[in-house]
Parts: sequence; structure tokens; C-alpha cells
Amino acid sequence: MDKLVAQYSRPRHQDEFYSEQEQRDLTESHPSISLKFDLPPLENPSAFLRAMTDDHSNPSCPIKLAHGTTTLAFRFQGGIIVATDSRATAGNWIASQTVKKVIPVSRLSRGEDTQTDAPVPGLLGTMAGGAADCQYWLRYLSQQCTLHEIRHKRRITVAAASKILANLTYAYKNMGLSMGTMLAGMTPQEGPALYYIDSDGTRLPGNLFCVGSGQTFAYGVLDAQYRYDLTEEEALELGRRSILAAMHRDAYSGGFINLYHVKEEGWVHHGFSDMNPIFWKTKLEKGEFSNVTSEL
Amino acid sequence: MEHFPEAWGRPRNDIYGPYDHSYLQTTGPKAHTQSPAVTGTSVIGVKFNGGVAIASDNLASYGSLARFTDVKRLRVFGDSAIVGFGGDVSDMQHIDRLLNSIDIRENYSSDGNLLNAKNLHTYLSKVFYKRRSEFNPLWNHILVAGFDGDGKPFLSSADLLGTTFSAPHLATGFGAHLAIPILRRLFPEDTPLENISKEQAVEALRECIKVLWYRDARSLDKFSIATVTKDGIEVKEDEKVEAQSWAFAETIRGYGAQVN
Amino acid sequence: MTSFGRYTSAETVGYSFSQPTSAPNKEHSFYPYTDNGGSTLGISGSDFAILAGDTRSVAGYNINSRYVPKVFKIGGDDESGDGAHILLSVVGFAADGQALKERLDAVVKMYKYQHGKPMSVRACAQRLSTILYQKRFFPYYVHAILAGLDEEGKGALYSYDPVGSYEREQCRAAGSAASLIMPFLDNQVNFKNQYIPGSGEGHALEPKKAEPLPRETVEQLVRDAFTSAVERHIEVGDGLQMMVITKSGIEEIYSPLKKD
Repeated sequence: MDKLVAQYSRPRHQDEFYSEQEQRDLTESHPSISLKFDLPPLENPSAFLRAMTDDHSNPSCPIKLAHGTTTLAFRFQGGIIVATDSRATAGNWIASQTVKKVIPVSRLSRGEDTQTDAPVPGLLGTMAGGAADCQYWLRYLSQQCTLHEIRHKRRITVAAASKILANLTYAYKNMGLSMGTMLAGMTPQEGPALYYIDSDGTRLPGNLFCVGSGQTFAYGVLDAQYRYDLTEEEALELGRRSILAAMHRDAYSGGFINLYHVKEEGWVHHGFSDMNPIFWKTKLEKGEFSNVTSEL
Repeated sequence: MEHFPEAWGRPRNDIYGPYDHSYLQTTGPKAHTQSPAVTGTSVIGVKFNGGVAIASDNLASYGSLARFTDVKRLRVFGDSAIVGFGGDVSDMQHIDRLLNSIDIRENYSSDGNLLNAKNLHTYLSKVFYKRRSEFNPLWNHILVAGFDGDGKPFLSSADLLGTTFSAPHLATGFGAHLAIPILRRLFPEDTPLENISKEQAVEALRECIKVLWYRDARSLDKFSIATVTKDGIEVKEDEKVEAQSWAFAETIRGYGAQVN
Repeated sequence: MTSFGRYTSAETVGYSFSQPTSAPNKEHSFYPYTDNGGSTLGISGSDFAILAGDTRSVAGYNINSRYVPKVFKIGGDDESGDGAHILLSVVGFAADGQALKERLDAVVKMYKYQHGKPMSVRACAQRLSTILYQKRFFPYYVHAILAGLDEEGKGALYSYDPVGSYEREQCRAAGSAASLIMPFLDNQVNFKNQYIPGSGEGHALEPKKAEPLPRETVEQLVRDAFTSAVERHIEVGDGLQMMVITKSGIEEIYSPLKKD
């Protein structure tokens, strides 16, 4: 009732146009760091958001968001391997086959465009779940990590960085975010460190994680062959092979295999390679995937 | 967040509650706290050589009841713009007050009211968009007729969601189904405006109003029609549909008690 | 979709700690979106980028207008967009698209005013992403594509989902006919599933390498994509608006499409 009274007792036309503050917000050339998000003015905004965007409960929901799918990372004696597929789906539609699901964190834009073979210092984040959620919040994390570097004159630890992200996702819990991300990095304080953070606010350190709809298939291969003392060569191959298995069996995974190795000096990119030739190579040369016929 | 592969990353029912389809419902039983009560139906407009003509009937319905039969739904703004309102009448009156206050403010400024129809349309569409973003829409569909900044005839529409579009002829409500095809046939969209005279345009609108009166159950045979030209605005508010012929009704079968 | 075992009924997923949330009070069921249909398409080349869109605007089965542009110049000096160096196309809910376009336009202009230099396409692309994400919980119902020239003068094309995830690509189709156009582009621009004849036997057949296409080829591809989409999608048609950005500026080309 108060709401109704308030609505009708305000001066006529007062709110009929954008206030000066609102107009300023709309034209700001720099986004504010204070994280202002527009909410639908409803009792239950997350139910509204879900009704519009949950393509699983309602395949004909109006707004289909791009989702990412199989990602994995594991620690071994030589560092950390990070591998992902590259498919983004919006409902049944394959929105993209060329998504970069490994996102360099800390020092904005470092290593995004320039191609070098030298290791790039910094952390790696992976994206599974809502593509925009992961991109936005990992970018936000980059900003915070850079600020940390400037303030403390040393690189942020993976533990601290993952905590920033987890605190954030916990603050937004039950608002409808969807992300399952891993942070991998090597710092003098921690050595190789790997954390899993998701949009429920979970934050777990660990040796080995697979995240996304293809996680089970990746776990199957990874768990079977994983050892801490893998050589670098073996570890890269295992990462590649696990993603390949998930791409083969999970319809929501596919495209290219994106492979990274995190070492003491920084991370090294080991290619963004089409899964198709790799699949046939694996089948024809190693005799795996015998469920598929090679007849043309 | 769901962790089972099947629906990985999607919201979980035990946290968010069951998926609520009602947010998507646009038809069926009304659960609106905001819904139109007393409504006007079609407004139709057409551009001609040197101006724009616009017409609407004088009815405000209450559901299926023809409740108010003398409601003028064309509103003159300044000296060269007309707004035609379809949809909720109370919201129309709210916008009317809004336009009054703008008109007064503009007239007190040193240059007088310089807002043309295009400016007015931009403003109103933003008002609509802002209200829809607040989930408190102004339940109207309007046409704005007049001139743009270059002095060319201007006709454009805006609706409760803030959607805007313009075309040589436009209509709201039932008119979009019945009047637009007639206007498109009379004045195909590639006809140069110079080939359409004011008289032709007005005659076409009267014809459209007549057809709407024949077939739109929420329409009336009393209507308003207005033209905007460089010479000013002409409004006729108490027109009547003339030369009606209900002969076509004789051939209609399948309703009521008649045999064969 | 098939599902097995305990997952069949999504309501009863057995989390021991689950707290069933009862259905909340439903306050509104005003539906704030509509789909105005149409399709857009962008392709980038070595020294140019093309953005194109059809000009039909629909509401359900009604055609609102046959000329509502979907491609806009961003950061121009005046209303006509002269002096702009970035293009944006939006498809989906037109009012959201309009709001987004005006917002980005204002941002790019403010940037130039505050920094004394035009905003780079890369910066603009990132800013657009944050603008979209600001509406994460009440999304803009639009698929946006941004085009311009990068620091090296190469064509740059960025595509977005409704809440701001983005990626730089060679080509992208969005909107209602995206599923018709995108496979065509995969094949004709990125040469997907094209192999070099005689390069090997069976699985050793070498795929054809994708390389930037010349402008004439790209323009023809765009026309072909749209004329074909018009044949098979009811929401696409009327006109094709093409904007080509090169180092000498932006060229706009309009050509008619079928109007049925």
C-alpha cells in the first residue's frame, strides 16, 4: 500500500524522463568500478531473468545466452596444464566454434594479441557456463590483480586472486550468474597453484579439475592416466586427449582444442588446433575410438 | 548452479524455485496489475504532398462495451504536430498533461515552442521506453504527425515498449490489419509523395475509417480527422461516416439464427 | 531431450540440503520485450569491413514498416553520422537496440571530447561489452555486431551475445535468419569443409586455407546471403542496407529485396 501511495503522491511528471544522474550514467565513457547493474524492478528479479534466459527449462525462452562447455586443468611436476574446447552454444544453436575459453588474467591485455613463444607472466582463467559472466568477471579480476601489483609491488598469489573472485560470486549468489572457472598460476610463494571457483561461491584448491557439461567425459580419461610425475610431453598429450574425449561424446563441446602450459616463468600457449584432424590421427594411428568406422 | 552435465551451469529448481512461465505470458487470463481498462482502438495516418493526414474514431471502449462515444483521441501539439492515441485512455490523459506542461514551458522560453513532430516523437518514445523499463508501461500506441527538422512531412509511431518505426502510412490497433492494406494499395510505398494530394489522402482515411466501422467491433462511426500542412493544422472532431452500405452484410452466413 | 534416472523430474533432484523455495508472489506479468525480426550480417576483409542488415520491421505476422535501418554509424559529428569511424548493427528488440545504439554513440562522442582523439575500435568493443553486461539481470534483447578498422588498418568485426560476451571474428550473421546465413558464411568465407582437390586420399585430404576476401566478392556474398534468406524466412525482406567502412570513410549502399 505504501508503495502505491508513494507512486501516486509524487509530483506529476516528475519521473517521466531520465534524471540528470541517469543521463550521466548512460553516457559515461568509462564504466564505473562501483559495479552498478540494472535490475528489473520486480519482487523477484532472478525469477524474471531465469524465465527469459534458462534454455534448459524452456528451450524456447526468448533470450538465449552463449554458454561454454568443457574445460580442464591439472597440476603435475612440470607446472599446470590448462585445456579447453572452443564451442559456445545458445540453446541447440552453435553460436561459435572459435571461443577463446582460456583468458589471461592480470596485467590487462597482456598476451591477448601479440604472438610470442616466450612465457607470459600472469594467471590463466578458464571459462565454462555463461560466456559473458566469465569474460566480464575475469576481466574485473584482471583489473583487481593489476591494482594489487601496483599497490604491493608484487604479483598477486593465486590464492588471493581466487578469493577475490569467490567473494564476488558469493555476493551475487542466487542472482542468476552462471560460471565455473579455474584459476591457474605459479607464484614464488605457492609454486603451481590451481583453484576452482563457481557462481555458487565455491572455491576449492586442488590438483585436477574438469568443469562444464563435458566434465564427466574428460574426468574419465584424465583420472585413468593422471600421475603427478608426468613429463611435460605426456601431460600436454593427456590434456589434449581428455578434451578430445569430451568433444567426441558431449554434443555441447567441440571445435578447437586450446592448450596451455603454466610454468614458473609464466604461461605458454600450445596451440588452438582443430579437433577433426587430431581425432582422425588418434583413431587411425593409435587405434583408439574404435566405436567409429573409418570407412569413407 | 546445476552441476549435472545435462543442464550444466543452469539455475537449479531447489534454489530458484520452479521455472515460472508466467513472465512470458502475453495472452490468456490477465494477471496484470497494469492493464488497460478504457481503451481507444485504431489511429491511422498517411503522408501526402506537403503534409500529413491523421484520423481516429471518437470511441473509448470498456472491454467490449462502447462506454464513451465522444472521446477525442487526436491531440494538437504546438502549431505543427499532432499526436494520435490508441490504447489506454487514462494513460493518454497522463501524456496529454505531460505535453501540456512541456508546451507551457516551451512557450515561456525566449524562442517559443520550436519542438517539431520529430522531436516530439523522439521524446515520447523515450518516455515509453523508460516506463516499460520500470515495468510500469504507459499502455498506448501512438502516431505522431507533422514535420521533421528539414520541413519534410513526418509520420512515425511509438508503442508501450518504446518500439518506434515510420512509414508513409501507419495505423495502430485493428487499423494495422484493416487500414494498412487499403492504404498500401491506394498509395504503394514507392509512390513519390508529390503524387498524393491532400484531398486524396483525406478521402482515403475516411474510407479506411468506414471499413473499420464495418468490421472492427470496437470502433465507432463518429471520428476525428486532421491534417498538418505548412499553412497550419486543420482538425475536424465531429465527423460522421457517410455513404454507408451494409449490403455486404446480406451475404454473411454462419452467424446467428439464419437458415442456410 | 532424453534424460535418465533421478534427473527425469527436475523438481526432485535429491540434494540433502535442498530448501524448496515456494513460488513467489507474482507481481507483474507485463512482458517487456518483443521481437522485431530481421537479420544482420558482417564480414571483415584485409582493409575494409562490411555490416549489412535487412530493413523490415515486424511485430508477430504484421509488417510494421519496410524501412527501419538496423545498421548505424557510431560517433559521428551530427545526426547524419558523418565523420563516424565505427559501425554497429543491432537486431532483436528494436527499442532496446535503439537505446543501446544511442548509448554507445554518446559514449564514443564523450570519449573523443574527453581524450581529444577518436575511440579505437578495440576500446569501443570492450566498452560495448560492459554496457551490455551492466544489463546482465535485465538484458538488452539484442544481438549486436560492431565493425571498424583496427590499429593496423585491417577490417575488425566483433560479435556479441545479449549480455556482452564478445569475440573478434571474420564473419558473423545475427538475428532471425542467422541459422540460414551462418552456415553459408562458414563455407564461403572461412572455407569450412572445402578441401584442395587432389591433395590427398581420404582423411589425408587437405582443407582449403581461409584468407581475407576482396571487397567485390564480399559484397556479392552479402547480397547472396540476404536474397537467399528472404526466400526462406518470413521476417526478412524489403530492403538491404549495407555499410562499408574503409580508410576513406563509410559508404552506405541500399538495394531492394523482395517485398513479399
